[in-house]
This record gives sequence, structure tokens and C-alpha cells, in this order.
Amino acid sequence: MIDVRNITKETREGVQILKGISFKVEKGEFVGILGPSGAGKSLTMRCLNGLTKPTTGEVVFTDNQNNAINITSCRGKELRLARQKIGVIFQGFNLVKRLSAIDNVMIGQLGNMNLFRSLFYGFTDREAMQALKVLEKVKVAHLAHRPVGSLSGGEMQRVAIARAMYQQPSIMLADEPIANLDPNNARKIMQLLKPLADEMPIVGVFHQPEIIQEFCTRIIAIKDGNIVRDGDNKITRSEMRDIYGAELSEIELNRTEHSAVSYQLSALGD
Amino acid sequence: MEYLIYRRKKTLNKVLVVAGVSFLAYWAAISCKVDLSIFWQGIPKGIEFIGFMFPPDWEALLEMIYPAIETVLLAFMSTIVGAILSFFFALAAASNVSPPWLRNFSRFLLATERSLPEIIILLLLISALGLGPFPGVIAMSIGCIGMLGRLFGDAMEEINPATLESIASVGARRWQVIRYGIIPQVLPSLIANTIFRFEVNIRLSVLLGAVGAGGIGYQLFYSFQVLEYQRATTAILVILILVFTSERLSKLLIKKIAPEAKLK
Repeated sequence: MIDVRNITKETREGVQILKGISFKVEKGEFVGILGPSGAGKSLTMRCLNGLTKPTTGEVVFTDNQNNAINITSCRGKELRLARQKIGVIFQGFNLVKRLSAIDNVMIGQLGNMNLFRSLFYGFTDREAMQALKVLEKVKVAHLAHRPVGSLSGGEMQRVAIARAMYQQPSIMLADEPIANLDPNNARKIMQLLKPLADEMPIVGVFHQPEIIQEFCTRIIAIKDGNIVRDGDNKITRSEMRDIYGAELSEIELNRTEHSAVSYQLSALGD
Repeated sequence: MEYLIYRRKKTLNKVLVVAGVSFLAYWAAISCKVDLSIFWQGIPKGIEFIGFMFPPDWEALLEMIYPAIETVLLAFMSTIVGAILSFFFALAAASNVSPPWLRNFSRFLLATERSLPEIIILLLLISALGLGPFPGVIAMSIGCIGMLGRLFGDAMEEINPATLESIASVGARRWQVIRYGIIPQVLPSLIANTIFRFEVNIRLSVLLGAVGAGGIGYQLFYSFQVLEYQRATTAILVILILVFTSERLSKLLIKKIAPEAKLK
């Protein structure tokens, strides 16, 4: 369970970007966050895994052993151990390009690893076998020893998901994980993410309304630092218009482009 | 009218620049005691001297081999020590690893070191540690830091901070982020620049050898001192071969080990 309690965030100049965000996500839920750019979606995500400290409010999650962990008040070692339990997938994949896919996956357990061993020895065979199994689950085991820099966007995002899964996290966060992918790959990535919701709550930021409706169980919309909608996965066009305003036409344009591309790709049998 | 004034001003500027440079050149010539007659007289003397230097003393060649190896080892040792020290200076000098104050302080130290010729470091060290290869090793190791520290630091700064943040987001410690996020990304550049520096250090260790660090440089210096010019020629030939091979070898190695690395 992840419990976001009234978080606010001010910049150093005193501009309030988040104005009190609260929501609770239970295991089994796949929450999609929508909102125009600059609304505070990414910042909310950063507060959820402690990369950014909110000005007020707190974020608490329960781990697999049912301990409540307050990520907002964690520091130092506590914060590291808490982060170990949070899987994060980023828009830009953010993998180490010159390391192999399997090494990138094993990075997911660094937080649990003996410091000396991790610095001077590296990973064990057992860890490698486990990492390979996870890569198999996301169907890129055959690329395990390729440097990540030589993979395609979809493949990289699979490796990133594998790394997050390898962490054996208690919650999963995804910040625009499919924004850089074509619709075909985007759908495949969502198909990988969806079953994870049975084991842990998932919170993701997405821009594609049709994908969010298809895969998420609940849609939260953030606008100007406030939650303006929190409900089921059926979102109407007029709601979308309220949330996105002038940006809506842009999103719809992208969607038609996307579907045109995916049509062509499916025609090619990709 | 205004345009004419502008043209006058431009002409005046040109005259002033030419006059200024001419004056400086004249002053420099006087201060350097430039005397072309000495130059013309020197040419036959020089040719005569070259006659003294030939043929090379081939018997001394065997005696040169160990000093030559010494020079290479001196360069090798200093490059290794220097590269390791440079790595830590580079971490301090990279904006995506270190806080601004530490970065600026480290960059300041590196810039200071770069403006300090190795020979001055060696002369200072010799007065403290005496003659011998060891002060040479220290002087050249320090000499590496200014160049390699900055190049390594620049290479580290090219790493996307988001990648480092994503490793931190799995709960990794700072040193783990460096080990898995930074080192793999900068390794080719590290290796290439270190090999390049090794080549520089070979030339430098010949020079520093003459000033007291031993090796082939000292052989050359010593031969001149005892007026054994043919022996000096042998030393020069060995140095030529040494420098030439190290240059070729370093190019080859860099191409082989780190073909995609950027050399600066």
C-alpha cells in the first residue's frame, strides 16, 4: 500500500508547484496519472521515491513484510533501504549504456549488497542466473550480454523493467515509461507492467488516454499542483478537455499519428 | 566626414601596432644578444662537432639498454600512480559527483598544477629527497594529475545525471554509483588518455633523467659532460627509437583498446 498524505512542494523562490496531493494506492491497483505538462506529475513521482523531499506532507508505504515506511522522513541508510523496495522506471530508461543488459539488471540489488564486494568483486553467478530469469520474463534474455547502448528503445525499457522487478520491490513507479516508444512497443511494455499490479501497487504517469483506459484500474488527474480527478479508468472526452485545455489537441494529434504508425507497422507484420 | 575620421583612426591603429611590435622585437634582439656573425661562424663549428659525434659508439649500446628500460619503468610507474590519483581528483572535479565548492576547489588545484612545469616540481623535490629516480616518479605523477585529472573530470561530466540518479534510486551508495554508473562510462576515455600520457611521460622521463632522475637521459647528459660525444650519439639514437616506438605503440593500443574514446 502506498499512502500519499497531503504533499506540497515549493521552489526556493516560494512558487508552490504541488498544492496538497493526497491519494492511497492498494495492492492490485494500477494507477495512471494524467495531466498537462508542468502540472507536477513528475515531481509527485519524485516525492514518492524520495528523490525529492516535499515541503510539507509525507509519503508512507508498506513493504512486503507489512512494515510501514515513511519515505519522507528517511535519511541516509534508511532512505537507501527504503529505495531498494521501490522499483522505478523512467521515461529516458536511464540505464548505464556501456554495461550489458544483465549487469544493468543486477544493479537493481546494489542496495542490498555488501559494499566491499560490490566495489571490488562484482556480481555472483547466482545473481546472474536470477537476473537472467527476470530478463526471460520480459523476453529479452537473448540480449543479456549486449551493451544496453546498442539496444532499441523498447528493448531498453524492458531491461529497465527487468531491473525494477529484480529489486523485488514493494511498490512500482513509472514516470512516462512509454513516452519515447512507438504505440506497438508501448502496448507491449504496458502488458508487461499490468500483471505486476497483482503483487504490488503501481503508479505511473502516462499521456496516452486510450492506453491508460485499457491498462490502468484507476485514473488520477493532476492540474496546477492539485488533484482534479480521482476515479475509475473510464475518462470522458469532456473530462479530458477540462484537464488538458489547449494541450488536448496536441495529444489527439499524436494519437492519430501514433495509430497511423501502428497501422503501418502491423501491416508490415512487426 | 565621420567615415573619414573612422578611416584615420583605423590607419593610426595599424601604425601603432606595427611600431609596438617592431620596438619589442628590437628590444628582444638586444637582450638576447642576437649577432648574425656568430651564427655564420657557428655553422662550420657545428659541422665539425657533428664530425666528433660520428660514428656512434656501438660498444656503449649494451650499457644503454638498462638505462633505457629504467626510463620506461620510470614513466610507467609515474603514469600508473598519476592516473590513480587523477581519478580521485577527477571525481572531486566533476559537477555531477561533487558539490560546487569541491568542484571549483579541485579544478583550481588542477589548473595550478598544469601551469607548473614538471621540471620545477622535480627541482623542488630533489632539494627535499635528493637525486635519483624516486623524486622523478613523484614529480611526473604529480605532473599527470593536472592533465589527466581534468580530462577524466570532463569525461565524467558528460555522463547523464539521470543515469546516476536512477542508480541511486535503487538504494545504491555513492561509491556504488561511481563504480557502476561512472567507471564503465568513462573507462575508454580513461584508458586512452592514460596511454597517451604514458607516451608523454616517456619523453618527460628522458628529460627529467638528465636533471637527476637517472635512466637514458642521464646517460646522454653524462656523456656530454665527460666529452664522449660518440657515446652521446648512441644515447640519442636509443632515445629516438624509444620515443618513436612508444608513440607508435600508444596509437596502436588506443585504437585497439578504446577505439571510440575521445582524445583531447
